[in-house]
Order: sequence, then C-alpha cells, then structure tokens
Amino acid sequence: MSLYELLGTLETGFIFGIVALGAYLTFKVLDFPDLTVEGSFPLGAAVAATLMVGGGVNPWIATLLAGFVGFGAGWLTAYLNVRFNILHILSGILVAIALYSINLRIMSGPNKPLLHVDTVFDAFNSFGIPGYIINPIVLGVLIVVIKLALDYMLSTGLGISMRAAGANPAMAEANGVNVGNMKLLGVGLANFLTALAGALFAQTFGAADAYMGIGVIIVGLASVIVGMSILPSGTIFLATIACVVGAVLYRLAVAAALNADFIGLQASDVQMVTAALVAIALIVQQSGVSLFKTARKRGQK
Amino acid sequence: MIRLDDVHVTFNKNSPLETRALRGVDLHIPKGQFLTVIGSNGAGKSTSLNVIAGLCRAEKGSVKVAGDDVTDWPVHRRARFLSRVFQDPKMGTCEDLSILENFALAHGRTKPRGIRRAVTSDMRDDAAERLKVLGLGLENRLDDKVGLLSGGQRQAVSLLMAATGDTKVLLLDEHTAALDPKTAEFVLETTKNIVNDLGMTAVMVTHSMVQALHAGDRTIMFHRGKIVFDAMGPERDAMEVGDFLELFKREQGEELADDALLLG
Repeated sequence: MSLYELLGTLETGFIFGIVALGAYLTFKVLDFPDLTVEGSFPLGAAVAATLMVGGGVNPWIATLLAGFVGFGAGWLTAYLNVRFNILHILSGILVAIALYSINLRIMSGPNKPLLHVDTVFDAFNSFGIPGYIINPIVLGVLIVVIKLALDYMLSTGLGISMRAAGANPAMAEANGVNVGNMKLLGVGLANFLTALAGALFAQTFGAADAYMGIGVIIVGLASVIVGMSILPSGTIFLATIACVVGAVLYRLAVAAALNADFIGLQASDVQMVTAALVAIALIVQQSGVSLFKTARKRGQK
Repeated sequence: MIRLDDVHVTFNKNSPLETRALRGVDLHIPKGQFLTVIGSNGAGKSTSLNVIAGLCRAEKGSVKVAGDDVTDWPVHRRARFLSRVFQDPKMGTCEDLSILENFALAHGRTKPRGIRRAVTSDMRDDAAERLKVLGLGLENRLDDKVGLLSGGQRQAVSLLMAATGDTKVLLLDEHTAALDPKTAEFVLETTKNIVNDLGMTAVMVTHSMVQALHAGDRTIMFHRGKIVFDAMGPERDAMEVGDFLELFKREQGEELADDALLLG
C-alpha cells in the first residue's frame, strides 16, 4: 500500500469513525439498533452539497446544518418508536427508505457534484500542503474533538440518564428519567454525527450521491464491534477510542483485502469483505479471544 | 402523604383471562408512617404498590401523593416524590454505571439534570460517608461498576440511592426476597435505620408474615383485591402470626392457604 493510499484510507477511516461514534451511542449506550443512518449519511451529504453549490453557503455552516437535518431524521425514527411503539429496527428502515426519496428531491437528481466550490478542507490548503496530507490531519483533529465532546456529554447528568435509559429503563424511570426523551435525543445525536460524516465524505469525495448510504450501517457497526473486541473498552473514554480505532482498522482491512489481487478480490467485493470481517469480529468476541486483552481462562468469571 | 381512593385495577380486561386485581381500595398512609403490606400471590399487594409508583394505572379511583393528584402521571414524573427498591437487586441499580454515577442518577430525581458533570466532589464525599455506615467497604469502590457487586451489596446501594435527594416516600417491593437470610436481615435493618433517620414514609410489600408484623408501625393485608386487615399500635404489637391467622379465618370464613406466606 502506497503512502497516498494509506492516507486516503485514514481519511475515510476518520470519517467513518464519526459514524462509529454515532453507532456506539445507539447500539451500545441506548440499546437502540438504528438503521436510519443508511439514509442520514447521504442526507448529510445532500444537504451540505446543495447548500454549498446552490446557496453558496459557507462549507462549515453547510456541514453543521447537514448535521442538524440528520438530527431531525434520527429524532423522527425514535419518535415513531417511542410514541407509536413501532419496532426500533422497523422505524429506522421506514425513515431510511423515505430519506432516499427526500435526498433525490434535495439534490434534484441522483447526485450533486461539488464543482468550483470551497470545501471545509480548502481553508487549510493555503499552507501549501497537498490535500491528501491535510485532509486526514483536519479530520483527525475533528474526530478527537468530537470524541472528547461525546465523552464529556456521557459524563453529565443528561449523559448518565441516557446511559441508564439504555441499560436499565425501569430503573431509569424510577429515578425520574424520561426514557422516551432520552431515546429521541440520543438517536437524534447519533444521526447528527452520521449526517456530519456524510457531509464531510461528500467534500472529500467531490460529490454527494443518493446511493452513498448503502452499507453505512454495517460499517458503523463493524467499527464498533471490531474496535471493542480487540481493544479495552471498560470506560467511556476507552470505548470511544476503540470505536474510532475500529473504524480505521476496518478501512485498512478492507483496503488490504481489496489490494489482495492474488486471491482474486475486486472492488465490487467490498460488501462481502465487510460482512466477513464483522462475522469474524463477532466470533472472536463470542469466543473471548482477544489480541490485546488476556483471554479468559475456562471456569473464571 | 399517600391516599388511594376507591382504586380499581383489572388485568386482561374483556378477555377470558380477565382478573380484577384491585376492587375499590381505600388507603391513607400519613406522613412518616412505615406500612407493611402482606397478602398471598395475586391478592393485590404488589399491584397496589405499582399503582402508587405509576407502573400500573387505576381504571377507576384516584391516587394522591403529598397532596398532588398523580393518578395520570407517568412513572418518571412521580419519581420526585417516590423512591423505589425492587425485588431483584439487578433492577434497582444500573450495572453499567459506577456506584457514584448511580448515586448521581438518584440525585437527579429531585435536582435538575444539567449538562455539567454528574459526579461532583461533594457527591463523592457524601456517598463515601453514607456507604461507610454499611460496613461493606463500598466507600473504597466508588468508581467500580455496580455490576461487579454482589446481590446484597447492590440492594444496599439501591436503598441508599432511594434515600438520596429530597424524596420522602420509600416504596419497597419484597426487597429482601431474593437475598439469603443473613443478607436479608442486614438489608431490612438498614431499611429500618434509613426510614427512622430520615423520617420517611415507607410502604413495604413482603411475603413474610413475621417480617410484616415486626417491621414498621402498621400492617395491612390484601385478599382478592381488597384490604381485609389493618392493624397498628398496641393491637398490632401484641399480635403473633397465630393470632393473625385466627383473625383471618374468623373474618374471611376460610383458612389462609399460602405456604410461602406462612413459612415466611
């Protein structure tokens, strides 16, 4: 793998690290398997691209607005579940399907190229460092900031309420936590992050595309599972590191697998490689075998 | 402090499994009273507790706590008045949170939950001081996840959490039933101390007749969805399990047939 490829993989890994932090919030903290991300990732891209190309909006503001629209999508999924008792997975599928049409409407077509517009990365190009080097650095700083903000949020009164609402809803309610509101906020926040990642992805990729959400759910999930099965995740601080590292490792593994011409893999095999990686990570997790953690001995708790 | 007026609850209404769990229950629990509730399975004792806590809605009648009509309030809204300790030690605490974070969560019942760090140094000192009284060494494990504690330890933490903040009503749902006898006795003693020290109003549902008569200062018994026995003061103090059974037989015209209740 060349340096160019490695930095490209890091760039994508950091973007999907943001998705992974959202997946951590829904899957691990709230125990709410959220499929909305398949729609909110391209939604973020579509909103940011349309605002930047059509409205000439500042790329940072467009990216942030994309995040807020993503929050709305997540909130809607949680609302369908909390208010109407629709199964969480089904609520997510419904919103993601609807978002597919909405994204086409937003972009007035299946894609929106970001031609001749400034992206969030352009502000850093004046340093004379090429984009393929500066982009991963900007994204790396961004993901550290997001990770620390999420860590802090989960340690606040609101954050522990959200964690309790996911882990023990009956106990949370008995302690005055409105579990429904926690789901609305948490799933909203996770989709804020996912849409933000979608907006950033469109800016590195050069276009927003209605199909770019396919497989995002599995990438987010894979990152969380891969990260948490090989790295210690006993505290929130460690768990969020594991998610981000998981996302990068996952991209590296995919890139390496697709470079393995000798076993006959092609670019179109990416989803199959993804599924296989997740399955392996799950099997490793189930059997208690870990790269960095001591394996549990038989009979020990 | 707590008032139930003509409360009716029916489960599985309009189905072959229809069960009338509560049939017009009137109950007034004054401030500072420690009430014990007894009854066989399906008598309505836990349902009455759930009606107070909000887990179960009364189809008829009203529930008042501290003067407020809470009949239609959801569980989380009632939490500002009521703290609960569950039967299952795993239910009353959140195993993914540390001991301190569990205390912080309980604090939020009566204090606003903000976007500041939930655990403060004052809270740490306060929790350590209160845990020290238990003599379980938990004051040195404040940052350990609750999931690492034993059932008895978790139930003790759960009790202290229930006494955190300004809530004045403690609801105990067979909270010693899942513990071994020695731990159960310890948890019951801790309960009595907390209720006395903080002057709380307490309702304890129990399956043990001895426990019901010896703890607290008033005992009621549920039978087929109604209160059939209500004793306090010298009458209750002088009562033994045998007298109680005799009274039950005389009033209800039938023997009490619940081994768990008798053996307990």
